[in-house]
Amino acid sequence: MAGSDIAATGGRTASAPAAAGEPRRRLSGGPFWLVVPALLLLVAVLGLPLAMIVMRSFAEPRWGLQNYFWFFGTPVNLIVLQRTFVISAWVAVVCLVCGYPYAYVMTAVGPKLRLALILCVLVPFWVSGVVRTLAWVILLQDSGVINSVLRGLGLGSVRLIRTQTGVVIGMAQVLLPFMILPLYSVMKTIDLRLVQAARSLGASPARAFLQVYLPLSLPGVYAGAIIVFILALGFYITPALLGGPRSTMLSTLIQNQVLSLLNWGRGGAMGVVLLIATFVLLAIAAPLMRQPHRQGERR
Amino acid sequence: MKLPSRILLGLFCLLVAVWLVAPTFVVVPMSFNEKKSLAFPPDGFSWQWYHNFFTNTDWSSSFFSSLKVATVTALVATVLGTLAAFGLDRMKSRASGVLRALLITPMVVPGVVLAVGIYAVYLDTHLVGTMTGFVLAHTMLAIPFVIIAVSASLEVFDRRLEVAATSLGASRLTAFRTVTLPLIAPGMLSGLLFAFVTSFDEIIVALFITSPYLKTLPVQIYSSITRDADPTVAAVGTILFLVTSLVIGAGLIIGSRQGRR
Amino acid sequence: MRMTVGKAAGFALLMATTAALAQSKPVAGEVAEGSLKGKTLTFASYGGIYQDGQVAALKEFVDKSGVTLLNDGPTEISKVQAQVESGNVTWDVVDTADFPPYVYCGSLFQKLDFSKIDISNIPEGQVSECSVPAMNYGVVLMYKNDTYKDNPPKDWKDFFDTEKFPGIRAVDGSGDFSGGLLEQALLAAGQPIDNLTPADIDKGIEKMRTLGPDTIYWKTGAESQQLAESGEADMIVMWTGRAMTAVKNGAAYTPVWKDWLVVMDQMTIPVGVKDPDAAHALINAYVGKSAQEVLAKDTSYTPIHKDAKPEVDEVTASFMTNTPDKLKLGFQQNMKFWVANFDAANEKWAGLMAGN
Repeated sequence: MAGSDIAATGGRTASAPAAAGEPRRRLSGGPFWLVVPALLLLVAVLGLPLAMIVMRSFAEPRWGLQNYFWFFGTPVNLIVLQRTFVISAWVAVVCLVCGYPYAYVMTAVGPKLRLALILCVLVPFWVSGVVRTLAWVILLQDSGVINSVLRGLGLGSVRLIRTQTGVVIGMAQVLLPFMILPLYSVMKTIDLRLVQAARSLGASPARAFLQVYLPLSLPGVYAGAIIVFILALGFYITPALLGGPRSTMLSTLIQNQVLSLLNWGRGGAMGVVLLIATFVLLAIAAPLMRQPHRQGERR
Repeated sequence: MKLPSRILLGLFCLLVAVWLVAPTFVVVPMSFNEKKSLAFPPDGFSWQWYHNFFTNTDWSSSFFSSLKVATVTALVATVLGTLAAFGLDRMKSRASGVLRALLITPMVVPGVVLAVGIYAVYLDTHLVGTMTGFVLAHTMLAIPFVIIAVSASLEVFDRRLEVAATSLGASRLTAFRTVTLPLIAPGMLSGLLFAFVTSFDEIIVALFITSPYLKTLPVQIYSSITRDADPTVAAVGTILFLVTSLVIGAGLIIGSRQGRR
Repeated sequence: MRMTVGKAAGFALLMATTAALAQSKPVAGEVAEGSLKGKTLTFASYGGIYQDGQVAALKEFVDKSGVTLLNDGPTEISKVQAQVESGNVTWDVVDTADFPPYVYCGSLFQKLDFSKIDISNIPEGQVSECSVPAMNYGVVLMYKNDTYKDNPPKDWKDFFDTEKFPGIRAVDGSGDFSGGLLEQALLAAGQPIDNLTPADIDKGIEKMRTLGPDTIYWKTGAESQQLAESGEADMIVMWTGRAMTAVKNGAAYTPVWKDWLVVMDQMTIPVGVKDPDAAHALINAYVGKSAQEVLAKDTSYTPIHKDAKPEVDEVTASFMTNTPDKLKLGFQQNMKFWVANFDAANEKWAGLMAGN
């Protein structure tokens, strides 16, 4: 996104120099002020609260690193931290595996079918998120629809509710749109003639896909996967309602520390760990999400 | 592609589509259950849970609270977000990149961490359970969506149009009002909708900052699920689904008419 | 912040003494006509049929005193703490679980003024410095009829015996640890419980772990009820109120009354409420005979007024815990030990909850 911005801005300034000369100078201090109200709000309702958490993690019950020593010295915390990453990774993988073909089909079908497919992606947003999670509880429970169908087919029943599998199914459904939409927006810009060219030059379908289509779609893959992974890390409601002890995620532990055990320091330290993990991941992934191929396509 | 693989691909997509919409459609029959239990398939048929939603003050007052909070949030977020999107669009690219990233962070900050922090700050500033508190927090969460939507329409907006208007003698304000605004209006509208939905459906922060005097619909739904387990939640889900479908359906019809013109 | 709380508490105390001097001895359940007109009280509890029943029990009080009663919940100690620390207390009367009024007496919950609450009809030993009981109830073992048929579990030992009684267990994971259940776990592990030490907490938790990875820790009463109604678990540790509702809704489960765990909810007043007199008046009305009869009738929880005789149907009566035969079978947890080791036990319990 940032790359195309630079290109676009450059184009604009170059194209309208003289006419906009006067107002432009007046505006040079201007644009920043337009951002200020939003920034102020951000500082007050995001910056301040996060600062408060960081401070409390060091300051309560007394100043020091005690809460961090406790966090990294308690096995259950590390297990839950690891599990949070594992579940999030699974969710990202499931979303990718299901979302990639789906997004591809969206680009390949006619407008009516495409609308239907887009609606299917958007429908989940039309029902309150909490209600949707409740629906998953009903669907996944041992006496639920999925197990009835499995038993009906003679496949026996599977334990889904309060398991990691169940949590992954529920979370992936909530997050799938965040995978499909970026994938679709990248895929629709891919020129299919490139694939045809590769085929006509003798490449097998698999090879044409792997060497031409897949690399072109990678920015969408990265963007979708990282968004899904990061959103999954912070999930709270779905694991709380669908999960059991073995699918407890970090957010639940934070909530428990603060709300049940009244321990803001420890809860804060856990929050800081989760925050740092999120931002480190973002920093690593940000360069991957830029679309290096865009310039090439335009040529 | 060969035919069998196309069929396979189609079937796979159908499965994914079913998976996406299944929870939505499970909710509808559940709302007509005759018994006070969340069973599926439900037993019997009754309207009582709809009746309960419209007559029980817990439900109606939380619904109106949410409506109020979401409306104010959507308006404030749209104004602030549009201003910011404009500022970012006209700024030096480097600074704008950093600021844009900063303004979008609320989307990625883990919900519980944010909620705990906001709760701590609100306790000290007596904002827990206040309209102001809800609107501030929700606006912060909604601004990224407005910025993304408006920025997208600014990206395709040709600024030379505005320059042309000013060079033809229009004041900057007139140029903005008559040229720029109509062109980015769709972006603002979708930003507004996203902001509304973000606030209307927000639960984690709301769970922490709610009070008996101000409770939003998701909080009421959550406490109903954890306390009473009665099908009113399914009725609420169904109503929300119908209303959104109508709004979006109307939008699609209007959109396609305009497209034909 | 401390200052304001301190001042508020001091002020409350002053108010309380003056009021007490002016007033004659209270009678449980009574309130002066129109005495709280224009005032608002917020009552926090755990929701469901329980809170509905409490509200019904307080209806007479509301009608007579003219007070506006708001309801909130579920009770979370952190919310009480937050309100007390910020000096902005919105919950006037809070229904809490067993432990909090003991653990946070004086810090979060104020010492009650028993010149304003008539406690003469409350069963012996249930009133503490900071609380009166809200009701009595039991935690019972409910087993699924289909699973065990002719050979049902008879006590907690059977509950912990996964070999002789295979099946999925569901345990209360809704909040604080259950001291009573941990003591039963120890007994099942062959440990004596008359001289508990902190090391016993670990042993109890260890025994809980032997229930296996399939064990369900339900997080809300509603969930436990759902488990019984859908028949998902074979043995469920349940609150009697939820157990009764589940049975009424058709759950084919049977309670085991041997060593049922005696528990109670507590009525408390947070430190720094705006009108402690009104809050005391609410509690005094709540412990009255007719209020307790209404509560018991609606919830099946056992009244805490000695003379209360609720009219209840057969199923409800079968879940009342104050009959002589049931009282004989009840098991009381070692309150002193668990309050003294509250933090340690809670942390270990939280570890169990997180699947370690």
